[in-house]
Amino acid sequence: MPTSAVNLTGAQRAVGAAPFDRTIFLDGPAGAGKTTAGVQRLLNLVQSGIAASSILVMTPVRPLARPYSEALRRTRLRPGSIPALVTAGGLARRSVELFWPLVSREAGFAQPDNPPVFLTLETAQYHMARIVRPLLEDGYFESVAIDRNRIYSQIIDNLNKAAVVGFPYTEIGARLHGAWMGDESQLRVYRDAQESASRFREYCLDHNLLDFSLQVEVFRRYLWPLAECREYLQGTYRHLIVDNLEEDTPFTHDLLRDWLPQVDSALLIYDREAGYRQFLGADPDSGAALKVLCTDYVTLNESFVASPALQVLGAHLATALRQPAPPAPPAEPAAVRQTLLFEENMRFYPQMLDWVAAQIVDLVDGGVLPGEIVVLAPFLSDALRFSLTNRLAQAGIAARSHRPSRALRDEPAARSLLTLTSLAHPDWQRPPAPFDVSYALMQAIDGLDPVRAQLLTKIVYRTKEGSPGFSSFEQINPDMHERISYVLGGRFDTLRVWLADLQQRRSPATLDHFLSRLFGEVLSQAGFGFHDNFDASQAAANLVESVQKFRQAVAEGDGEEGREGKESGDLGREYLDMVEDGVIAAQYVRGWQEVDRNAVLLAPAHTFLMMNRPVDYQFWLDIGSRGWYERLYQPLTHPYVLSRHWQPARQWDHDDEDAANQERLYKLAVGLLRRCRKQVFLGLSELGEQGYEQRGPLLWAFNHVLRQLAVSEKRQ
Amino acid sequence: MPLPSDFQFSQGSLQDFVDCKRRFQLRYLLEIAWPAVPAEPYLENEQHLRLGALFHLMAQQHVLGVDEGRLTAMAQEEPLAGWWQNFLQDRPATAGAQYPETVLSMPFGQAAERRLLAKMDLVVVDNGRATIYDWKTSRRRPPRAWLAERMQTRVYPYLMIQAGAELNGGQPFAPEQVEMVYWFAGFPNRPERFSYTADQFAEDGASLAGLLDQAATLSLSDAPFPLTPDESKCRFCVYRSLCNRGVVAGDLNELDFDDPEPAVEFDLDFEQVAEVEY
Repeated sequence: MPTSAVNLTGAQRAVGAAPFDRTIFLDGPAGAGKTTAGVQRLLNLVQSGIAASSILVMTPVRPLARPYSEALRRTRLRPGSIPALVTAGGLARRSVELFWPLVSREAGFAQPDNPPVFLTLETAQYHMARIVRPLLEDGYFESVAIDRNRIYSQIIDNLNKAAVVGFPYTEIGARLHGAWMGDESQLRVYRDAQESASRFREYCLDHNLLDFSLQVEVFRRYLWPLAECREYLQGTYRHLIVDNLEEDTPFTHDLLRDWLPQVDSALLIYDREAGYRQFLGADPDSGAALKVLCTDYVTLNESFVASPALQVLGAHLATALRQPAPPAPPAEPAAVRQTLLFEENMRFYPQMLDWVAAQIVDLVDGGVLPGEIVVLAPFLSDALRFSLTNRLAQAGIAARSHRPSRALRDEPAARSLLTLTSLAHPDWQRPPAPFDVSYALMQAIDGLDPVRAQLLTKIVYRTKEGSPGFSSFEQINPDMHERISYVLGGRFDTLRVWLADLQQRRSPATLDHFLSRLFGEVLSQAGFGFHDNFDASQAAANLVESVQKFRQAVAEGDGEEGREGKESGDLGREYLDMVEDGVIAAQYVRGWQEVDRNAVLLAPAHTFLMMNRPVDYQFWLDIGSRGWYERLYQPLTHPYVLSRHWQPARQWDHDDEDAANQERLYKLAVGLLRRCRKQVFLGLSELGEQGYEQRGPLLWAFNHVLRQLAVSEKRQ
Repeated sequence: MPLPSDFQFSQGSLQDFVDCKRRFQLRYLLEIAWPAVPAEPYLENEQHLRLGALFHLMAQQHVLGVDEGRLTAMAQEEPLAGWWQNFLQDRPATAGAQYPETVLSMPFGQAAERRLLAKMDLVVVDNGRATIYDWKTSRRRPPRAWLAERMQTRVYPYLMIQAGAELNGGQPFAPEQVEMVYWFAGFPNRPERFSYTADQFAEDGASLAGLLDQAATLSLSDAPFPLTPDESKCRFCVYRSLCNRGVVAGDLNELDFDDPEPAVEFDLDFEQVAEVEY
């Protein structure tokens, strides 16, 4: 893809240089250089002398704004103000924060004179858990067999969908009910989901808490119609660049519909055959409808990424999946066939992984950069991640995984801190298992190996009537002194005494303060495990931040009453409860953390699509799996029924499900191929990761394509 | 690690470089997260910073025209309530065009590859003159000499001249047309004003370029940057354990005039990309 103005195509240059009083709708397939054109227009706008602070770049999620932020950093821009890079959600939140005093009363908040408390996904889940837990005890969601945290997140998801689609949250249950045509017991689940959502919303209004859905609703219903807010936004931002419109929600599209007539210029960029975030409320159709509001319409069709053969492969796959074939340049069937590599006759999943690892080793040995290789699966389980990373590590190849969520509680440093927290608070009656204690000591004390950590734990760790505690190293058998060493024993005693001192003084008052002090005063001092371990310090920082946000959200939400009424120890204990339940520290994402780009990427297919970074080689694992085709099981919600296009009188049947899955798979497959430059390796095994036979629609489609190609080759 | 070609300097990072080069290296160059306690009492410090941020937000809301009565109703806690009353009664006269939360940036350094950025609480432009206001909510009012030495006092006016033309109808400000005002919410009748001159502008340009060169030169080696010779600063620095310069955090009451941690740093992406994930 062209990266500098010199390399731009005529069409890209024309978009970049179009007069700054035009509103342009730019569409085309992924890889056609639309974002490059958008970046060029941004740079042109800035260099033209227009105040950069009047430019707003909007993307559905932060990573998609990266080409713009990188270009702004890279380019020697003239002195002046800077453009704003936002998501629609970010804009809503910032507006709520700025104009809160003008709408807090009208929006129904019980404490309009107190500041708003913005919830993260994590803290929203926590508050949802507080509300739903007692309901679960009363038999709510009895027939639903999924983890509690998934129940909480799906109720939150329903509220979000109501907000971004624009229907009252009180209609969630009725919509789901109306479309259901299966077992009657499911209707009770929908009633329970509605009741939970309604209680959560009331609770938020009572306590000034704003989860994502309420931020959007307050903005949509109260702020956008308010002259002060609208004039501020429309007066400040006169030039809009909106990328990946198809991945955004009707909320964003409605906002743009109102805004476009007022701007000096706009560039709306739309990826055809995409819309991967539909399960989160994205609506490609409402995005496409904005085209008629623009003065100019431009299409870029030529791919700068996928070879002609890969584009033809995409067209064949589309046909096999009974979808309209996207246009593709001509390519010989033999060349198309050569874009695919696979090995048949593999029965077991681990054999497939061995094959994948061997192919990657061959590629790297042949001079391919590991960063140009991605391994994709419908879902990335811990076992799969471990198995592949391990195989590649044995060959000396670095791999990195990218999952939308990574459990903070699984980070060794965070686990160690949580174990030490339980040890420091014996009255919480949460004795950790001896294995966890030795693991924590091994992390905490520099030089303590697993054998001596276990030995030390065995000698000094005791639980009395449910309360955990350590005895002193000094008091143990002299033989053991020798085996563990005085140096390490001394360090252990430093830690033990520090923990014991805190217990005696009943301080510090909050869990985040405790963790910060434990880190700063002991674990990061010389002789301890975090001293010059920057990965550990990063995990510790994430944990402290998570605890702090949790405390602040609870304390601020409960106001003075909550701050004074709730013992800080209770909050700390509650945090650990939530960690155990998988509600908290389960999805702690540091989206901006830079990763080793020169490593093989392991990622779920959808995540890779949303990273929007093409590579030379892709490995598609387990293509027989139905996971490539089927939606995630979400018994409390429904992305299609809760969309703007759903007709209330209809019912969702098997044909609808099949058609939706077919379209989803088509978009996924074509989207991946458009982000591949050279070759796709297909991972095949008769039995999948769970040991079941694999005959999913993607496998079927590839078989169909291969037969077609063989016929074409023979004809030639 | 060499200073990246797209590195962005701010008054905060430059102040760190002046105070302790190692701190600059750890915080901005290596971006090492180090969650030690910055100052004790922890909760008091947190509360003070929270109310300080709220005060800045209310000042911005006031400029945007949010009803004064509604804002006053929100200032319930002390010291915020006092600060706010002071602001309403004794805030500096701000006739002219007002630009709250203004961000300016410019190419920086010999090859103009890096950038210098600043976010100003309020800029008022009147008759071709720019006044930069900075709201201070620190516990003590610093003396003029201390403020004069701060990087903020040099970076903000310098940037206003280099990058502020768009606030003045495209016409760059001359040094004599720029003034920097510190207004102290706890000491409303004692603002500190710094007018600017051509000599100061030239001197600041040279000294800022010198700092950048120093940082770039130091970064060519992988060695740790030099630690501050003034170890009293380490008591309020979270990296004290990494540098083997202390165990416990310093007491807020013994702090000079600054906050223990600088205001949240930002870059081109800063708070504007505040996505709420779901």
